[in-house]
Amino acid sequence: MTTEVIPDRVNTRLPGGFNLPPFGVHQILALIIVCIALWAVGVLWLGMQTAGQWVGSWQDDIHIHVYLDTQKADNAKELEQGLAAIPQVASVRLISQQEAARWMQEWLTGGGLQQDELAKRLPITFELSLSDERSQFLFADIRDTARRFGGKVNEDEVNLAQVHDLLSQAGLLAWFASLIMAVAMALIISNTLRMTLLARADEIHLMRLLGAKEWFVRTPFILEGMVLGAGAGVSAWLLLWPVELAVGEWLNTMQVDLNIWILLLPLLFGGAVVGSFGALIATARVVSSEASA
Amino acid sequence: MQQLMLRYPTGKTALSGLTLDILQGQFVYLVGESGAGKSSLLKMLYGGVRPSSGLLMAQQIDMRQASESRIRDIRRRTGIIFQDHKLLFARTVFENVALPLRVQGWKTERLIPRVRKVLQYVGLEDRLWSYPEALSGGEQQRVAIARAMTANPAVILADEPTGNLDVETARRVLDYLMDLNKQGTTVIMATHDLHLLKSHPGRVVQLHAGSLAGDYIDY
Repeated sequence: MTTEVIPDRVNTRLPGGFNLPPFGVHQILALIIVCIALWAVGVLWLGMQTAGQWVGSWQDDIHIHVYLDTQKADNAKELEQGLAAIPQVASVRLISQQEAARWMQEWLTGGGLQQDELAKRLPITFELSLSDERSQFLFADIRDTARRFGGKVNEDEVNLAQVHDLLSQAGLLAWFASLIMAVAMALIISNTLRMTLLARADEIHLMRLLGAKEWFVRTPFILEGMVLGAGAGVSAWLLLWPVELAVGEWLNTMQVDLNIWILLLPLLFGGAVVGSFGALIATARVVSSEASA
Repeated sequence: MQQLMLRYPTGKTALSGLTLDILQGQFVYLVGESGAGKSSLLKMLYGGVRPSSGLLMAQQIDMRQASESRIRDIRRRTGIIFQDHKLLFARTVFENVALPLRVQGWKTERLIPRVRKVLQYVGLEDRLWSYPEALSGGEQQRVAIARAMTANPAVILADEPTGNLDVETARRVLDYLMDLNKQGTTVIMATHDLHLLKSHPGRVVQLHAGSLAGDYIDY
């Protein structure tokens, strides 16, 4: 059998099977929209990455302070022992009033206060180092112990120590938002492919009349959805770099080092999966109607 | 086919009690007024619609009970020619004619010699890389014939293939179909062009209001 060379100008685009349909303006528009949506998802997860690193940079150094009024100084020893008995408390240190006053004066940058006078007015202060700030009942135990001996916990510090709870809630929200975005993107791709399918209904009908299997008819559209989603994912990833360039230096001052590369594969494969899913939705009900008079 | 009946979901009865045998290698004209059931019968022969009742055996397959995969097999062994050609205008002549082979899994490099051969047969070998819109109506119909015969089908179903053509072009189209029939292909052709029977005789099955009104050989 002789083989014939296809002329240079001719691009054989046989429909069906593993051949991609031609890209048109609808596909480019869908790619742009999905790219923007994936970029928003990427920015969201970069934000989570930033928050995680930022919290991690200071959370290890956090201490909880428990105060006891000087009038209840008799309880100080028992309060110290009670706090030290909590399993997740690594150590309890009694801060002298002089040290507290000195620190406060530094914090107030002079403030014009007399250090001795200030020291007399400050309560007795215990500094707690924690071994596991994520323990479920730790802060409730500290509060109970403090209350039993007339002491008071610095709640602002407790809130900061519990910020990981907020972060994990924010993480759940980020997953939820990503899921909603994924569904929206799948629908956008599905809608685009639906238009393509309608535009090529004759071709699909003809392929079926010629005895084509369903996979043969649908594969090009699923491939198109996959390529569209993956293309949008890579484009979105590339568009994350300007964000890194804009805020990276500032974030470095907060000991946050953004890693954009870690988002490449999730955006690429996430886009491809979302695109394929959209294509499956679009092709699920492609019926060649013949059974009508 | 025996006591074949077809009723569409709309309630319209297209065929009613049709009993007919078409043997392998015959050339059959389906004639009758518009709405007589010619196109419906052709549709049933390639599995486009299923009979409502009765028996229809096509290429040894019961078309009422056949699975989707058997219907696909039938379609792969059947060439279909439509009055409106159903050519893909965004694709070249090559891509149009190669489509049935592509559906059957032929590799691209094997397609070109085969497509060139069938286009040579219908006198369009120099139009391989043209688009259908650049062809005349008669040439488009010849491309449709080339597409129908490219996979060497056992049966060719032609639904008014000469409907939009002038007499001379219609005769040439019939010449091709007759020639294919002489090579052993069964040809079943719905037509209104009764004058063609004079120059191209064959078996005539006449339908009227969905029933058999006549069945004779026209010499």
